[in-house]
Parts: sequence; structure tokens; C-alpha cells
Amino acid sequence: MAPTLNPTDLVTRLNRDVERSLRRARNGVRYVRGTHRPKLGATPKEVVWKRGKAELWRYRNGTVRYGPPVVIVHSLVSRSYILDLRPGNSLVEHLTAAGLDVYMLDWGVPDELDADNDLERYVDWYIPRALAAVRRETAQSEVTLAGYCLGGVMSALYAAAHDDVLVRNLILMATPLDFDEMGAMVALLREGRLNPDELIDDTGNVPADALYSGFYMLAPTTEVAQKATLLEHLWNDEFVEGFQAMAQWSRDHVPFPGAAFRQLTELFVRQNVLMTGSMRLGDRRIDLANARGNVLNAMAERDNVVPSSAVEPIMRLVGDPARREELRLPGGHVTFGTGRGALKVTMPRMAEWIIAHSDELSEQEE
Amino acid sequence: MPANQPLWLTAVHRLERAIGEPVEAAVRTDTYFDAVTRINRARRKTLGMVEGVSRRAWHTLNLPAGTDVRRMREQMSRMERRLAQLTDEVAEVAEDGRRTRVG
Repeated sequence: MAPTLNPTDLVTRLNRDVERSLRRARNGVRYVRGTHRPKLGATPKEVVWKRGKAELWRYRNGTVRYGPPVVIVHSLVSRSYILDLRPGNSLVEHLTAAGLDVYMLDWGVPDELDADNDLERYVDWYIPRALAAVRRETAQSEVTLAGYCLGGVMSALYAAAHDDVLVRNLILMATPLDFDEMGAMVALLREGRLNPDELIDDTGNVPADALYSGFYMLAPTTEVAQKATLLEHLWNDEFVEGFQAMAQWSRDHVPFPGAAFRQLTELFVRQNVLMTGSMRLGDRRIDLANARGNVLNAMAERDNVVPSSAVEPIMRLVGDPARREELRLPGGHVTFGTGRGALKVTMPRMAEWIIAHSDELSEQEE
Repeated sequence: MPANQPLWLTAVHRLERAIGEPVEAAVRTDTYFDAVTRINRARRKTLGMVEGVSRRAWHTLNLPAGTDVRRMREQMSRMERRLAQLTDEVAEVAEDGRRTRVG
């Protein structure tokens, strides 16, 4: 029997559809005009240290109840606001609201002046100085060091090579170790194909467009499906805002410093040195097993940028075997910053782990 | 895929996957990587040849070519980098000095 249509339901449905159509038209116009873009990286912060393009931000969002401070080291290929995407959808906001003292080491947008920045410059120069600034700010001798993507590799190298600031916890978020498993992202750089210098432009860096093309080619047709989904949900302000924020971030890459890119190609991609558990940096050998502190290997199960198989070896190679833990999270590479899985699982579980490995501060320390 | 998704959207998603999966598989093959490499090399070679001809033309008129300007820019960048490095070093020394005095 065909369902009977109640007149009240019909009016309600009609009202809803009219209202949605109006909103759809309004949001469509806004989207096409590129106006009403969401505010990104909105958690209140202040710059507490700066050298060159690198800045250390301290987030101010409520009372700090736990220590040591959490210092996030961002990747070299993307913008750090993915971890503070928008209010209500931000790892930084979640951690600060949980009572953690959160810092972000942001690399800015490299230009000609940064072309000589190599891994030594990041691991032995910027990170130690930024952490010294954190120590001065907080008067605490330890930190929770959290690296995202390539920032995780640099954090692991720092934790294994330095003891000037003690790393109580080392969190590696989507951090590649086995570059043989990185698939299409690095295949062009393998021996016999492109040389790093063929990608480096006049500024001495790999242009942001080249990096964007690399990511785009991982799934060249998904944009069509995403746009269709946007069209269906165009009436939903929240959805449109989230879509715009993600679309902006995924196009917003930064140039990759040439010197670091040459090293990454030769050492990580071609020699896959990280899988030996050690590498030569500057004038000494760094053994990843010497990384101090509790190690959390946080990986996204559906990550197509840094697949789990590239991340899993962390559990064999970084830090003390008795202090390693693994956290498998739903979602893709950006689950640390956005998405339903991020809000329900990633952010709460990250905060729980950090708090479980931190101390509650006395009122004086706060 | 949500259950209440309209049919047209389901169809678009299915079509996108039907096309997308083979495309994604194709851009992960050695043939694709080799083709990209060859195209990139050919592009650079052509660009180099064009630049060479244009350089000779400008030099005949005793004028600087784009490659000269680029080389000069690179030299200036190197100088700027060295200057930035020295600025950093001076800032460090000054900061250490301030901290020693305060301490």
C-alpha cells in the first residue's frame, strides 16, 4: 500500500525544501564569488619565538592544567593550520581545552633565503632553539614533542640526537619511516627518473605547485565526487564551511627548501636510510632507538599519502621498545586535523594519551 | 555511503569510482612515471634551447638576457642567505649576552 501523505507533514517538508533551496542559492553564490571563507587557524595564539620564517606559537585557550608543554612540529610541505582548521574542528583547540599547554613550530613560507635549509638546519638549529624558547616560557625542563608527517621524522631525529631539552613524550603523527612504501608520492624520484634538481626552480626550492600536483595525482578524479557532494549539501552552512576550509588547505602548499629536498631524495627515498634505524646527519650518526621518552606512533588507517606500511616500522625502530605504543585511527592523512573521525576518535584519544603521560600542575605552576 | 543519499549523487560517486580507480592505477604504473620523466626532460631541453637562442640574440645587442638576470638573482639570494645567517648568529650572541647579564 502506498504511504499516505499527512498534510501537516507535506507543509513541513515543503517549508524545509524551500528554505534549503534559498540557502543553497545563497551559499552557491558565496562559494562561486569566494566570499564568506571560514576563518582558519582561529585559536588565540601569540608568537613567542621567531627566526627567519620559522615561528613558535603559544596557544591561549583556557587554563593550563597539565605539563609538560606540547610542542607540535609541523611538516615542511603543507600549512600548519590543518591542525587548527576551524573552531569546533581543531586538534589544537581540543588539546588546549583539555588543559594542555600547546605550542606550534610553524615553518612559514620558504623563499630564496631558505633554499640552503637542510635537515641539519631543522633538526640541529631550529628545533633546539624553539624548544629552548619553550623552556624559558614555561620554566619546565621537559616537553611532549609531537611531529606531523615530515615534522615527525625531524622530531624523531631531534629526540634521538639531543638532550638539551628532555623529550618526555614523542608523538609521531602519520610519520613515514619506510620510504619504499610511500608509493606514487616518491616513485618519480627514485633512481633513473627525476633528479631533485629537475624539480627545483630559480628560487632554489621545489615550487608549491609541483608538490600540489604530486598530491593531486594520487586521486585525480575525486574532486568531481567532492563537488557533487558539495552541491547536495550546499544548503548546510556547516558543511560548506568545512568543505571550503579543507579545499583551501589542500591547495595551500608551500615551497620545499631545495637543500632539504635533495637530502630527502637521496637519503630517505633512494637509500631508505631510516629503515636501517640510523642515519648520518652533520658530523655524527643518529640512532633512532636512542629517541628519548614514551613514543606514540599515531597512524591513520586510510592514509593514502603516508600509508600504514610506511609508518609501522616506527614500532621496531624508534625509541625504547618498552615505551612504544601504537594508536590506529580511522580516516586519512588529515584525520589529525579534521573530519568526523577526528572529532570522535582522533582528538579525544590523542588528548587522553598525552594527559595520561603528563603531570597535573599545581596552582603555582599553572 | 549514507543510506539517505539521493540517487543522482550515488550515481555520480559510482561513475567517479568507475573512472577514478583505473586512472589511479594508471598513474601508479612505471609507464606513467617514465612518461612524466620523459615529458619533463623534453620540456626542459626545449626550454634550454629557446633560452640559448634568445640569450645569443640579446647578447648580440649587448643586452642582458633572462638567464643573466636569473644568475644575478641567484647570486643575490646567496648573499642574502649569508647575511641572514650572520644576522641570526649576531642575534644569538646578543641574546646569550642579555641572558647572562640577567642571570
